Amino acid sequence: VKFVDEFRDADLGQAVAAEILSLVEPGRHYKLMEVCGGHTHSIYKYGVDDLLPANVELVHGPGCPVCVIPMGRVDDGIALAHEPGVIFTCFGDMMRVPGSRGSLLEAKAAGADVRMVYSPLDALRIAKQNADREVVFFAIGFETTAPSTALTLMRARTEGIANFSCMCNHVTIVPPVRALLESPDLRLDGFIGPGHVSTIVGARPFEFIPADYGKPVVIAGFEPLDLLQAVAMILRQVAAGRAEVENQYTRVVPYEGNLRALQVMAEVFELRPHFEWRGLGFISHSGLAISERFADLDAERRFSVPGVRVADPKACQCGEVLKGVIKPWECKVFGTACTPERPIGTCMVSSEGACAAYYNFGRFARQREVV
Amino acid sequence: MKVVAVDAARGLALCADAAGARQSVETALVEPVAPGDRLLVHAGTAIAALASEPR
Repeated sequence: VKFVDEFRDADLGQAVAAEILSLVEPGRHYKLMEVCGGHTHSIYKYGVDDLLPANVELVHGPGCPVCVIPMGRVDDGIALAHEPGVIFTCFGDMMRVPGSRGSLLEAKAAGADVRMVYSPLDALRIAKQNADREVVFFAIGFETTAPSTALTLMRARTEGIANFSCMCNHVTIVPPVRALLESPDLRLDGFIGPGHVSTIVGARPFEFIPADYGKPVVIAGFEPLDLLQAVAMILRQVAAGRAEVENQYTRVVPYEGNLRALQVMAEVFELRPHFEWRGLGFISHSGLAISERFADLDAERRFSVPGVRVADPKACQCGEVLKGVIKPWECKVFGTACTPERPIGTCMVSSEGACAAYYNFGRFARQREVV
Repeated sequence: MKVVAVDAARGLALCADAAGARQSVETALVEPVAPGDRLLVHAGTAIAALASEPR
């Protein structure tokens, strides 16, 4: 398949790996953060990190949509799912995220009508087919997914589907990245920028990273060669003393993003003053709410939502994992009390979560040799 | 995914993935689309159009 095969070519991969080796200074340790959970998944699926020199470390960032949902929001969703007459819809991995008293999947087992969908459009179709029921869609995701929710709300409006509403948990990528850069815990040498978020927002929103913090950013695709090439491009910048935003994923990402997507998002959503992130706490202007114009389709206004804040479980270190402060296997409960079958933390739930990626691809026992 | 059929009036396209599984996809962000086009689909919405496969 075009755009897939050539980005999995083993010989080319070895050539880029050799270039990376030639770019690093021995004795210097490089820490690069891949912001996006999709990248984390690809890195472990294809073993990209095995092709890197030992002094180039990939640190996993906060860009996993399921991982950043705080427990309180899950509890609120479960409360909605138990409302009489409600069909509650959400993405599959969201169903397994533990709240303070169980997950949506457990709510379903207890009798709530919770259904898995692949897209908000599927949820809207369920609303159409069940005119006597209230259908709520639990929307999560970064700017990649937010336009999809926005378009579905606009479609609900134009097609006159009144029994559909949305509980909005959409978040934006720049505020948590800025929070990480401000954090004293972490010293990074550069960022692998998110590929599909950038398809929507473009490269411009990341320009503050080189401008204000002097760190290179390379927006990358999701195939193994994309990631290797992005690492090489970052190291080239570091070696030359440059810091700028570069786009490795030009086959999909235009520098200015998708203007139509930004337009529909602006129409349907507004920024929340602050939003809670799992393990990261409240971050200003980091979450999206449904705007006044679409208020009638906002589940949080249509139903009464408890809106309780629940602290993360003590044993869980998802916050440190999401900030890249610790590696998944350094968490006290990794692979013992917390597994993909019985997750305690969100990072073990989603396939994009760093813990699930480590666990599923069998990389939890490995110690890297030091050069 | 590859576009199989287009419903321009509703802004939807029927698309098939490499395994042949079909799905309705929102096309508002990448219009116009035509059968045979390759789209990058995320959560039921096409977020980018890819260059066509050479024939």
